[in-house]
Amino acid sequence: MRFRNLLLFIFIICWASLMRTSAQQWVVPDDQKGKVAPFMFSPDLQKQGEGIYTKNCVSCHGMPGKDNWVKQLSPPPGDLAMVKAQKQSDGELFYRITTGKAPMPEFRNILSEDERWWVISFLRTFNPKYVQPNPAGKGVFTGKVVKLQMTYDSVQKKVKVFATELTKERTMVASEGIGIMLFVKRYFGNMQLGDPKTTGKQGLVLFDFPTDLPGDKEGKVELICRVNDASGSISSSPVTSTYAIGVPTNKPGLTETRAWWSTRDKAPVWIILAYTISVIVVWSIIISIVISVIGIRKLNRT
Amino acid sequence: MDNNKTTFEKLTLDLSHHIRINKGFLVWMGFLTVALCVCLYAYGLQLKQGLGVAGIRDYVSWGIYLSNFVFFVASSLIGMLISAVLGLIGVKWITPLVRIAETIAVAFAAVAGLVIISDMGRPERLAYVFIYGRVQSPILWDVTVVTTYLVLSILLLFLPMIADIAILRKKAQLLPAWLRPIYNVLSLNYADTPEQNRIIHRSIRTLSIILIPAALSIHTVTSWLFAFTTRPGWDSTIFGPYFVSGAFVAGCAAVIIAMYFFRSSYKLQDYIQDLHFDRMGKVLVLMCLIYLYFNINEYLVPAFKLKKADALHLHELFSGGEALMFWLVQLGGLVLPIILLIFSWFRRPLPMMLISIAVIVGAWFKRYLIVIPTQEHPFLPIQHVPANFMVYSPTLVESLITIAPFILVLMIITIISKFFPVIPIYETAKERGIEPFNSDK
Amino acid sequence: MEDHSTHGPNHDDGKDKGSSRRDFLKNLGLVGVGAATGAAALYSGHIFEAKKEASGQSKILLTQDGKLVEVDSLEIKARSKSGLDLLQSHGREGIPGKRWVMVIDLSHCRNARQCVSACQDAHHLKPEQYHMNTLQMKDSPDTAPYHMPKNCQHCDNPPCVAVCPVDATYKRPDGIVLIDNERCIGCRFCMAACPYSARIFNWLTPKDAEKDKDLVYNVELNVPQKLGTISKCLFSADRCREGKLPYCVSACPNGVYYFGDENEDAVTNGTTKETVRLSKLLRDNGGYQLMAELGTKPRVYYLPPKNRLFPFEEAKDNQPEKV
Repeated sequence: MRFRNLLLFIFIICWASLMRTSAQQWVVPDDQKGKVAPFMFSPDLQKQGEGIYTKNCVSCHGMPGKDNWVKQLSPPPGDLAMVKAQKQSDGELFYRITTGKAPMPEFRNILSEDERWWVISFLRTFNPKYVQPNPAGKGVFTGKVVKLQMTYDSVQKKVKVFATELTKERTMVASEGIGIMLFVKRYFGNMQLGDPKTTGKQGLVLFDFPTDLPGDKEGKVELICRVNDASGSISSSPVTSTYAIGVPTNKPGLTETRAWWSTRDKAPVWIILAYTISVIVVWSIIISIVISVIGIRKLNRT
Repeated sequence: MDNNKTTFEKLTLDLSHHIRINKGFLVWMGFLTVALCVCLYAYGLQLKQGLGVAGIRDYVSWGIYLSNFVFFVASSLIGMLISAVLGLIGVKWITPLVRIAETIAVAFAAVAGLVIISDMGRPERLAYVFIYGRVQSPILWDVTVVTTYLVLSILLLFLPMIADIAILRKKAQLLPAWLRPIYNVLSLNYADTPEQNRIIHRSIRTLSIILIPAALSIHTVTSWLFAFTTRPGWDSTIFGPYFVSGAFVAGCAAVIIAMYFFRSSYKLQDYIQDLHFDRMGKVLVLMCLIYLYFNINEYLVPAFKLKKADALHLHELFSGGEALMFWLVQLGGLVLPIILLIFSWFRRPLPMMLISIAVIVGAWFKRYLIVIPTQEHPFLPIQHVPANFMVYSPTLVESLITIAPFILVLMIITIISKFFPVIPIYETAKERGIEPFNSDK
Repeated sequence: MEDHSTHGPNHDDGKDKGSSRRDFLKNLGLVGVGAATGAAALYSGHIFEAKKEASGQSKILLTQDGKLVEVDSLEIKARSKSGLDLLQSHGREGIPGKRWVMVIDLSHCRNARQCVSACQDAHHLKPEQYHMNTLQMKDSPDTAPYHMPKNCQHCDNPPCVAVCPVDATYKRPDGIVLIDNERCIGCRFCMAACPYSARIFNWLTPKDAEKDKDLVYNVELNVPQKLGTISKCLFSADRCREGKLPYCVSACPNGVYYFGDENEDAVTNGTTKETVRLSKLLRDNGGYQLMAELGTKPRVYYLPPKNRLFPFEEAKDNQPEKV
């Protein structure tokens, strides 16, 4: 009974939003529609996906099935438990998460491929009719397999990324024409350095590292390079390394100075002195007067 | 000698006959106690439900509790003006007024501390101010100086009274029986010996000298609670002297009212004479003129520049929502009293008392105008909040809690004046050429 | 005396008066210690549970019987301190090496007020209580109106902290201005001193008082809210500790907020999760501080409402509400 109501509800919302968005077009390339997850969805992964969803998606889409998405946005983000969202293939969802379309952000550089699949696995829990297609096995993959290596050239002061690909003969050769992106790790996420670059004949790209970017105390920064692949035809994993090439940054805490606003133990010395001395002086005079006045009891004879 | 003796007998009787528990006292104190209980019930409500029973909210977070605190601190300052400043200069006519002024100072200073507790969201954490006190905070300074000033004022009330207590102790028949043991202890065996007088005079002198900076501090520090912020209407460099001069106005008025009622109810016409009213009237005019001068500075200077936030604030005072109160206070509580008191006809007891009531009511509302309107116009707009957050209006509970301190002050003044002579016997006798301790020899 | 001693732990009837006196003193001591830490200690277990997932860092320890076990690093410290003490000392120390900073891009704000509701949910606030509020601004008669989210500016020269009489509100080394409501006496001097009207007060019983009464007070979340004390924006200090963006920042659907660490010269957008250079963002967009002329040195920057993403719409719910 409840389910039927829910379905009806979903249909109405879906129809209404279709009406509103009929003008909006967001075409997913055909070769992407059929893309499938490389692993089977499991309750564990769905849980992981929920975590990522609540951190990254909930601010616009709301929680699936709760219809608490943000109505003011255009095009409307919609509830992802709705048929409109759920009738899309995994590949379509994956493509949309990856590329984004304003105001929806692209998550290509924010979520790893696995993380994007986890989110989809979570979303599919709201579709009881969903049956996961067979995961794409390694053998099925027809694209390039690319391996990245990152080094820092201290003479040229550049970050070098070297891409090799696996040939049919199972040998590694320099890979030309591969888009590479470089990131530096920051507290809340990875920050892209410069624009994506494409490897040359030697499979090499050189990135400038900003001379004024802060590192840790020793100037260490953690760099991440990865392949910039919108088509999904390249298999590669990001490479992370740490170099001491940032500006050594060891700024003191903001509460080092003695100031009006400091805590009591860091009060400006002159205030402590002025206050304490005045109190001691005035009160010792008061106390001595009280004592001497009480003392007049014994002085009642001339 | 004999003549001296009878004069002294009469003088002592005149100045001590009010020291007794009579029906009037009981009725008056009974009335005050009942009224206080009603107010305490209101405070009980506030303790239980929180400060929200008052009309204060997030924008106007300091309401009449705080303006009342400022008023109380202000009124207590008069003790310093009369007994310290005029006393040290050697002004003679203040003799019968010194104790009245000190009594007022003690009562208002003691209750000011309670007023501020009624404004605390967590009164049970009062001790934190002493345990964790931050030496940079004006509140810590305020607590320190108010306490110091209270102790100084109590001493300055008590020390000149030792001689009177000793005189009355010897004439035990003038005192109710239950009061005699207290007098025995408090007299400190005073016998007018040169050694004793030397100690007492030196102590009074020293205390009077310390009292001046202490008194200036209490009201200057109180003014800093506001002037240390950046908000329009408070962000002023003359707030210290502005508050101090305003305090003398309120204090003078309080003393004049007390003089009038003591004089008529304790039959002290021979001691608090028309001359004293005349002189106090002149002091009040002087104080009002000084305060008017500071008022002109305080309002004219920002009104000339009309900086954005100041303009809004001043507009509200001069012609906006607070205009009626503002002009009533400035004209009725300051300008008109000055004009009237210039004429000697108005410097007689009854007109003076009525004018003083106008002045003191004006002084109370003046504190309201200093504290509240500034908060109704913060730098950033007040939005997305209920209507009672935007405009402050005190609630009944809040008003009752605000009345309580006045009841307490009246009780303290009544009790002090019922236990001890209002007018110094020893000093008065000396001024009239009588040696109080040798008059019967 | 006897009466008290019967309440003593392991009371022995055979004890003489001296020992019953000792028991009494012990009881007295227990009461005293209990008043300070007892309640908190009771709930320290609760905190372990709550914090287990949060820390994410674990350590391998050798137990007394020679086994290696993996223990959450937070829990190791927690064993030596009661829950409240731990939260309080965390709350005072801050996160080493950080200087939090927020950037608010006014050109993106369309008054969705998702930040407001996320914040109110997180901090258990009533609808009229704001740590974060969106204000409809109009600087002069001829300039265009815009919506401005406004929270505590976490000033480096905080006027509110300067006036606090009891060290209840304080600035941390990482820049966050917090309030310890185990300490606050409710004098509201800080509210008077704040030029941004950032502070609110719990005038009456707080929203979830009944529900929250068993919670250990977390100074980094200011929950439970306490009657008669101050509350205000905390830059979601609890989330920063977990490496997550503040509640308001991650709730915004329009990409208004950036949050990050000045020492890293990087801020992360709460909506797109894109991380950008703070200095470049401020330089390219004409970043400014709110009422910088007051010398408060805010840690919140604003980007002016130029090239707006959305047309301005009058806030519909901006009329005085009835409680």
